[in-house]
Amino acid sequence: MKYILPKQDLNALLERWSAEYAVLAPQKSGAYAEFLPYTPRSELCLEEPHNTRYPPKALFFPQSEAILQYKRTTGQLESISAVAQKRVIFGIRPCDAKAVSLLDTVFAEGDNQDPFWQARRAETLLIGLGCHAPCATCFCTSAESGPFHTDGLDALLTDLGEIYLVELLSERAASLFDALAPASSILQENAQAVQSAAECALPKAFELDGLKGKLDRVFDQDIWAQLAQSCLGCGICTFLCPTCFCFDLVDEAQRDTRVRNWDTCMFRVYSLEASAHNPRPTRKERTRQRLMHKYSYWWEHADKLGCTGCGRCVRYCPVGLDIRAMIRTAGAYENEVLHAN
Amino acid sequence: MTELEQKIRAEAARLLSEGLVDVVMAFRKEDAPLRPQPAFFTCVEDLENLIYNGLCANNLANYLTRYPDETRIGMLVRGCENRSVNALVVEKQHSRQNLYLIGVPCTGIIDWRKVVALTGEDILGYEETDSSLHVRTKRQSYQLPRRELLHASCQRCVHPNPLSADIVLGEALPEGDPALIRERVEAFEALTRAERTAYFKQEAERCIRCYACREACPMCYCEECFVDHNSPRWTESGTTPAGTHAWHIIRAFHQTGRCTSCGACERACPMDIQMTYLTDKLGKDMWDSYQFAAGMDAKSQPPFASFTLDDRKHFQAGGMHS
Repeated sequence: MKYILPKQDLNALLERWSAEYAVLAPQKSGAYAEFLPYTPRSELCLEEPHNTRYPPKALFFPQSEAILQYKRTTGQLESISAVAQKRVIFGIRPCDAKAVSLLDTVFAEGDNQDPFWQARRAETLLIGLGCHAPCATCFCTSAESGPFHTDGLDALLTDLGEIYLVELLSERAASLFDALAPASSILQENAQAVQSAAECALPKAFELDGLKGKLDRVFDQDIWAQLAQSCLGCGICTFLCPTCFCFDLVDEAQRDTRVRNWDTCMFRVYSLEASAHNPRPTRKERTRQRLMHKYSYWWEHADKLGCTGCGRCVRYCPVGLDIRAMIRTAGAYENEVLHAN
Repeated sequence: MTELEQKIRAEAARLLSEGLVDVVMAFRKEDAPLRPQPAFFTCVEDLENLIYNGLCANNLANYLTRYPDETRIGMLVRGCENRSVNALVVEKQHSRQNLYLIGVPCTGIIDWRKVVALTGEDILGYEETDSSLHVRTKRQSYQLPRRELLHASCQRCVHPNPLSADIVLGEALPEGDPALIRERVEAFEALTRAERTAYFKQEAERCIRCYACREACPMCYCEECFVDHNSPRWTESGTTPAGTHAWHIIRAFHQTGRCTSCGACERACPMDIQMTYLTDKLGKDMWDSYQFAAGMDAKSQPPFASFTLDDRKHFQAGGMHS
């Protein structure tokens, strides 16, 4: 079903939801937007062309989370139970919602059952806001997503100026919008036009067809050293990435707590073994791992691409490395260099 | 291509073709809008990709420690980069004789975040002049005053000219006003302890422990950073206040007498965290106590790294008053 939500009624709606749910919505925090609890005084940040700087995966998989308490002196363990409050995340972008659904394959499928992730997922509704004006750093349409994709969403909003067109995508979200008027077919066509225009505005960043094989076949080549030459080896691209999920378990012994922290393959210590051997000794291997994981290994473990084209790694890389160009270069290496010789 | 770019390319071409250096470190044209990339040129043909403008944001001295000492490096240096190189030479991270510094007086680095805050992100192209940045987006064009777009560290820059370059391309610029850094530090010092703590917490607690500040800093070249040490562990590794506070305090302290106020740490930070108020405070203390400023030449040891046998030894028993 599709409904009309006049923008002037949005605050009243969010307030109505607040009676039953914790409502999180993008708001300015300094120079950038982040998901913060909605209050009647909140100034929502829905007109920005791009997503929040810090990825919403953190709302399900916090960067640092206590997962176990213990008493060193007695050896007693106290598990921390995974309890989540009912939440609505309002205004999440389609690339980020898709990323959450990708992470379900890591934290909530088969043998991988993470109680913390699952508790939060079960209690959270994702209400998306489509991107009618994507940025120059966005490349969702090249990465199996799109400015109005619905993967992972319970509802999707399309900005039509004075109103939002609301597309209902799950039964559990129905009660959130039951007071709204249905959208006329003309409005639905308008929304369709806005969506197509946004998709057409995004140039193709690379060709995904056959890419995995092309990357796999140049695994051993020097191209990776060339691509990694200016990389600083910081964690920005992976920590801001909505699909990166690596973590490390650490005992914060002084407070008897086991903590799960985000970790990143871009750090030297990530793959450093106790013997002092490091199977990924330089930035070359670490950069290769980041790109190969997203564009090759994800296909193997989940039959999906591990990137949604959100553009954060492009936007915030401190040396201006652009994953689109890196993928293009690595993908072309086989034909342009190996076969040419 | 600007006249300055042309001169830099010509000098880089001379160095490579005459076999005087093994690599030239400079910048190349961006893939993502407004983000020129550090680049490492080893052959003359590639130099057509070399660019130089106000958006070249990285401190290239950062890459010096990646090369073995015998590598002969030609590198583009602005005022701060030259001082970083000096400080690294003092710390024996590269022999000065194996460096050829192509100096460029610097009119300041443009903060791309300030640009996109004004223009939005759908940038198609830009042109820079001495006084302005002309930006074209899908919707309109902008003529922005360059001075206002500069990174905060560059607005406070004292020494824009390379101090010990082998060649300087372009006209020397007037020195900056040292009062600008000093006044900012004094304003911080004048806050109450509670206010200083609140400011420190507000900045440090946004940290996501990505260590971009460390990796962008030429002076952070330890093989193993204290936060990566795990036996024993010195700090919490997560984003808890205990972890972020420890990181920001200790990172700053390790820069005492070594930081050249280039601002690379803040330019790299994905969370817009202020850090130079701490390092500039330490810089002011080093000046007030020892009349020392990092990187002004390639010989002087930072006060905390130098010692003589007749140093006062107040840490010894009974030595407090000696």
